[in-house]
Amino acid sequence: MNTIFILDKDTKTELSEELKTRIIEILNEKGHTIELVELGKYDVSPCLGCFFCVTKHPGECVNKDMVSGIKKNVRKYDLTIYMTPVIFGHFSSTIKNAIDRGTGSHNLQIIVGFGDDIDNEEKNTFIDLTAKHCGSADIVHPGMNKQVDVYITRSMEDNTAICQALKNCL
Amino acid sequence: MKTWEAMKRICFINGSLRGKKASSLAFLEDVNRKFSDTEYMKTYLTVRARLKDNYPEDMLQSIAGADSIVIVFPLFSYGLPGALMRLLEDYYRYIQAGNGYNKNAKVYVIVNCGFPRPEINEEAIRVIKNFCRRLSLDWRFAICIGSGPVVVATRKIPFLDMKLKKAYAEIVLDIQDVDRGKRNNYFIKPILPEPVILMIKNQFEKKMLLPESDQIS
Repeated sequence: MNTIFILDKDTKTELSEELKTRIIEILNEKGHTIELVELGKYDVSPCLGCFFCVTKHPGECVNKDMVSGIKKNVRKYDLTIYMTPVIFGHFSSTIKNAIDRGTGSHNLQIIVGFGDDIDNEEKNTFIDLTAKHCGSADIVHPGMNKQVDVYITRSMEDNTAICQALKNCL
Repeated sequence: MKTWEAMKRICFINGSLRGKKASSLAFLEDVNRKFSDTEYMKTYLTVRARLKDNYPEDMLQSIAGADSIVIVFPLFSYGLPGALMRLLEDYYRYIQAGNGYNKNAKVYVIVNCGFPRPEINEEAIRVIKNFCRRLSLDWRFAICIGSGPVVVATRKIPFLDMKLKKAYAEIVLDIQDVDRGKRNNYFIKPILPEPVILMIKNQFEKKMLLPESDQIS
């Protein structure tokens, strides 16, 4: 399985680093080919909303930066894992830019949100933002992934539970 | 005319990077026109595509000093555009660093999406509400718009844009401190029926999208 693991390198915590290491271990155990991409806020430009990537130059983005290559080759990935700090119940801007630019695998995506101080409303917002609309064919736009699994960690215990779930599903 | 000190300060934030083509800009200008230049001190911020550093301090100060903040943006993947999210992150950090701000600032959102159903904007609204809660800002309400470009194209047809006009009027009254009791979100659907919009959307996709086999892989 070709897996791309996209992380926000500007926001690293003890929690996220521990989970990152454990996820990589699981992927290795399962025999995945892993491409690890650590994005900083200056590495990825925001989506301009120009739609050139679906009209004029299908599959290619007019922005040329670290994620251009990922978008261009997105069909080679069986799985995309995003790991993002949860900010106001949302992805970090860096990870959101990567998502808006179409870096997600069309087959399976796993989204992992982390943060020590995420409150319940932010947690619920994040889950709804990422999972609620998937599978509803009439509102999913072309190229949207077939499956999205969402996990949130606020503690080391959550990390353990997530790893167990990943071991079972990957 | 009011003195400079007595004027209410409104900060308009355009969360779209599409320049003059943006539906968000059209909605922002609609609301902006409701406020007289002699009665209100208005500032206009637009998110930026390429930043070598954080958002400039003068932009963050404009938000911090505002009595009312009107955020207008398109829905991207059911959430906020990354460029707008970056502005909110930078603003939050600016405040966390000890810079002063108006905690009583009222916050309004106008969000438009490509889907006919305006309710799809709901999660993006919740993100802004969480942002307000973190900073103890005064969240007011949102105007959620379905099929933004269709609403922009048809909003000036007489008698068809009443709900949108009413929603704009509510923002004006609320900023003027006229107590309206309720603060519900407004959901604006395009005037064309949903099946017609979906048919147009499907036609567009068939015409514009290459078959998967022809796409770069």
